[in-house]
Amino acid sequence: MSNKLIDFVNITKSYGTQTVLDDLNLYIRENEFLTLLGPSGCGKTTTLRILGGFENPDSGHVIFEGKDITNLPPNKRQLNTVFQKYALFTHMTIAENIAFGLKIKNKSKQYIHDKIKYALKLVNLDGFENRMPESLSGGQQQRIAIARAIVNEPKVLLLDEPLGALDLKMRQDMQYELIRLKNELGITFIYVTHDQEEALTMSDTIVVMNQGYIQQIGTPEKIYNEPENAFVADFIGESNILPGLMLEDRLVKILGIPFPCVDEGFGRNKPVDVVIRPEDIDLLKPGEGSIDGVVTHLIFKGVHYEMEVMANNYEWLVHSTDMFPVGTEVSIHVDPFDIQIMNKPESEDEEAVNIEE
Amino acid sequence: MMRKVLQKIYLGLIFFLLYAPIVTLIVLSFNNSKTRAKWGGFTLKWYSELFQNEQIMSALYTTLIIALLSAGIATVIGTAASIAIQGMKNRWRTLYMGLTNIPMMNAEIVMGISLMLLFIAIHVTLGFGTILIAHITFNIPYVILSVSPKLRQTSKHTYEAAMDLGASPLQAFFKVVFPDIMPGVLSGFMLAFTMSLDDFVITHFTKGPGIDTLSTKIYTEVRKGIKPEMYALSTILFTTVLVLLILVNYSPDSQEEGGKKARKAKKRPSKVRMMVVRRVIPAVIGLVVVAGGVYYAALSQTMNDEKVIVYNWGEYIDPEVLTIFEEETGIDVIYEEFETNEIMYPKVSSGAIAYDLVCPSDYMIQRMIENDLLAEIDFDNVPNAKYIGEGYMEQSRQFDPENKYSIPYCWGTVGILYNKTMVDEPVDSWSILWDEKYKDNILMQDSVRDAFAVALRYLGYSLNSTDLDELTAAEELLIEQKPLVQAYVIDQVRDKMIGNEAALGVIYSGEAIYTQWENPDLEYVIPKEGSNIWIDSWVIPKNAEHKENAEKFLNFLCRPDIALMNFEYITYSTPNVAAQEMIEDETIRNSEVAFPDLSKLPELETFRYLGPEADAVYNELWNKVKSD
Amino acid sequence: MKNKRYLAGPYLFWSVSFVVIPLLVIVYYAFTSDEGGFTLVNLAEITTPENLKALGISLLLSFVSTVVCLLLAYPLAMILSSKNMNQSSFIVLIFILPMWMNFLLRTMAWQTLLEKTGVINSVLNFLHLPSLEIINTPYAIVLGMVYNFLPFMVLPIYNVLIKIDKDVVNAARDLGANPVQTFLKITLPLSVPGVISGITMVFVPALTTFVISDLLGGGKILLIGNVIEQSFKQNSNWHVGSGLSLVLMVFIIASMALVAKYDKGEEGSML
Repeated sequence: MSNKLIDFVNITKSYGTQTVLDDLNLYIRENEFLTLLGPSGCGKTTTLRILGGFENPDSGHVIFEGKDITNLPPNKRQLNTVFQKYALFTHMTIAENIAFGLKIKNKSKQYIHDKIKYALKLVNLDGFENRMPESLSGGQQQRIAIARAIVNEPKVLLLDEPLGALDLKMRQDMQYELIRLKNELGITFIYVTHDQEEALTMSDTIVVMNQGYIQQIGTPEKIYNEPENAFVADFIGESNILPGLMLEDRLVKILGIPFPCVDEGFGRNKPVDVVIRPEDIDLLKPGEGSIDGVVTHLIFKGVHYEMEVMANNYEWLVHSTDMFPVGTEVSIHVDPFDIQIMNKPESEDEEAVNIEE
Repeated sequence: MMRKVLQKIYLGLIFFLLYAPIVTLIVLSFNNSKTRAKWGGFTLKWYSELFQNEQIMSALYTTLIIALLSAGIATVIGTAASIAIQGMKNRWRTLYMGLTNIPMMNAEIVMGISLMLLFIAIHVTLGFGTILIAHITFNIPYVILSVSPKLRQTSKHTYEAAMDLGASPLQAFFKVVFPDIMPGVLSGFMLAFTMSLDDFVITHFTKGPGIDTLSTKIYTEVRKGIKPEMYALSTILFTTVLVLLILVNYSPDSQEEGGKKARKAKKRPSKVRMMVVRRVIPAVIGLVVVAGGVYYAALSQTMNDEKVIVYNWGEYIDPEVLTIFEEETGIDVIYEEFETNEIMYPKVSSGAIAYDLVCPSDYMIQRMIENDLLAEIDFDNVPNAKYIGEGYMEQSRQFDPENKYSIPYCWGTVGILYNKTMVDEPVDSWSILWDEKYKDNILMQDSVRDAFAVALRYLGYSLNSTDLDELTAAEELLIEQKPLVQAYVIDQVRDKMIGNEAALGVIYSGEAIYTQWENPDLEYVIPKEGSNIWIDSWVIPKNAEHKENAEKFLNFLCRPDIALMNFEYITYSTPNVAAQEMIEDETIRNSEVAFPDLSKLPELETFRYLGPEADAVYNELWNKVKSD
Repeated sequence: MKNKRYLAGPYLFWSVSFVVIPLLVIVYYAFTSDEGGFTLVNLAEITTPENLKALGISLLLSFVSTVVCLLLAYPLAMILSSKNMNQSSFIVLIFILPMWMNFLLRTMAWQTLLEKTGVINSVLNFLHLPSLEIINTPYAIVLGMVYNFLPFMVLPIYNVLIKIDKDVVNAARDLGANPVQTFLKITLPLSVPGVISGITMVFVPALTTFVISDLLGGGKILLIGNVIEQSFKQNSNWHVGSGLSLVLMVFIIASMALVAKYDKGEEGSML
């Protein structure tokens, strides 16, 4: 991945008394699939709309290819958007919809014709030229919206929860479709979603946001395996988040019991949050692990069993391919490198970041 | 920023366009002058007089009752129809929506006429009922168009869910569907109510004589000059609605904070709003109905057997006079008004209502005598008739040759009223109305006979001419005059001359006196070519049931003090010589305008009834003038 | 909801009795003479020079008023719809409220405003500006029509505009259209249904009014509405009046059909 394509510098935006973005700084590299992930109201859509030119930040700058585009109107920006509810022009045919941007730029008839053909083929909707948008299904409309955007050969494609209105199966198909498109077009995708699975599946980089602040930036693996705070840990996947005390480097006390871990540099006797993913917990025979407990719930989930184990007054969430009936006495074991240590929030701002739901 | 400012300016301009007339009306309601052309200082008197004005109050009551009933009935029929239409197949739905669109798209005038023709064809008397039916008819589409969209938004599953939970279809409807479409039903009702309240055209055609809504009342007043009480009433109505709507729309809850809270507050109507919708509005409506009912009941209770039914021109008697008569004699006066002789005539001739005393004009009295509609007056019962000047009785013989049927009430001439500051030369001839110098400064009478009278006399012909050549010449003269005329009006000449709107106007002498009071620059003259003299006299129809009471009332009206009261109220010349002598103001008592020496005046003619064929010729020629 | 059809019964009865049949009565009167025989004379009345002129002026004035209304209302509706007031009822309120001042009084008030010595001219004189002399001219009638019917143009257009998804407009801008292009290619075409219903709701009453010309035209300008009104209320010639009404209806239907040709969309959206 190469140089910075887009740079958000100190962006602040508020509606009335509500601050949506607070001093946001973020850069996006060329040819990257970047996802803004977070719950509704976290500021991810606003970030996208500021980039698209539909909102003006109260302060701060947006730099695109080294130029300040903060006050540039949307039609002068070299990027295109795929809107949440498609925003197709209902009074135009599919072909007219796709041709819209090209006609504005006074491209030749032949060029436009070829582009429409190419774009429809790309989104697997050949032959739909003369249909009206309302006669298409949601998934088809979404693809038209994408086709309409990409014929303009933008350097960046902005996608605002484009799959939100689709059903599960369609959503999964479209995810692969988008990855394929991204690879074929070779341009930057900036994708907004609240769905962690979409984010993990497609992105090169994920930006987790909450309440106007960026919580963590990183690859899907890093975000999942090494959440930097309790919010990220809770928002991405399922997890056991426990209060702990860092006794010394590579040793943390959880629920009164010392666990060996791999983290260093937190200092001595420092309170921390500890994240343990449910699939990282091994259930052994009583006495063989670190803490003994009793299975209290059991649900079959298809790929694995989901169990809750009561141990040291804490309900541990455990995923395992092995089945332990309710009432079985077990012992919990966690490998040191599966224990993720996080700083406790210190300032008030960070406190606000805490999990709401 | 610039754009915002421009937007504000634009909104301001539109707002001005919409509300300038309304502010004007509100200002006029505080104007201490009867004419809208002059500001006479601030007063609240019209507000207190309003409540004593029975005609306006009863028109208001009729208007509100019709609006309420028509909106209510239309809401029930319309809502039921919307529900049915919602469940229909496409073809039927299109048919019904088409049916709904007819009254929306059709011209009001055509709809009014069509209903009038229907009612007459099936012999339904035009009146309260016909107005109500007409209003319901044009109100239903408004209800359907506001309920239907709400129904479309309502999921039919909620209805099914309610049934599933054990509700009967009726319960399911009233507990689940109805609350959902309630806003639509309510706005449909309000819209219908407003439309009914504001309607003029359809009411104009479907109303019968004797009943008026505010609109039709105002329309007749436009000709006579609008009573300031009407402005007061409109101001009260307007502010009441304004306050109610502000209460409904800006309850304190929904104003609190932006964001989520506001959104929630909006979905759930605030307490104040609910209060207004559920309690205040019905309470106001209820109050109006009850008050009106009591008022009507009180009105009918006072009616005893001793009564006299009087049919007179609008604004043609001092209301105080009626009260005095009732107190003195114990006889109730039932008082009705007409606008023109032509409207009065069929009502009397049909005998639908047995009037005891009517006040038509000269030519109409002639027609009534010819058609044997009148009873001879027993002059022994009207000793005060002696106060009527002999000259007027003589003039009356033109239409009542033996002075048997009529006693003059008011009289006057038609002449030119001019503004001394705007006209330099002496005015003594109709010819000045054709002087290019006064282009756009001339006001002509907007009625066939009066307009032709001017032209015919100017040409030296009789104003009762039926000679086609003479009439055509007059028509050509009037067409020639048209570019010079500022407006064709009736009683508005008065207001416009007072307000210095025009230099010259054709006017009745009675109005001239009043205008001179208000604007001393005005002068009245009867042109040398001669003009029209008219006399309105009291007559007793043959079918009168209370002839003696009528004569008592007639005698009362001839009493000099009473005649004086009336003169001072209506300012039309009284033929009552004794009353004339009692006038305190010397200039008026000796006024050449009010009481000219008839013998010294140029040739004056009364109008005669010319028969239906001549009438048609006049109308046709007048139409040509007007549409030229 | 089954078996709800009977609920439309009262409405059907009412419509047939008081909408359809009365129209047939007009047709009957239009084609018969005083003696009761069939005749086309009443319809032919429209061809007399006076009536043709009245019809011509009516068409002209109502056309002009409609255009003026449209030009005034569209920007107004756009501004209002961009205001993002969550109380759209407030806007309706502004336009419905004047209706509680009687229509005739409101129109009359323009006389007081427009007269030679009226309020507006007094202000203009005071500012040493040339006076406005339009009272008793066709201009005053157009003003009266615009004033009275403007809300019927604003409301449907406003209602269509607020329903347009903001993102559709954004999408056009995103695809490179400048504000003017966006308006011409997106906003305007999408608002056509509102414009159409606005036009019908202004044109028809303007074409057929007799009150506004009465009050502001100084009795000098006879519209077709005045001719029809007079034939019923003054000349008592119902057959001719019906004949002219029928002709007027034909004109209305024709103009509606003309307008509807450009309207592919839904039913009127006044509400």
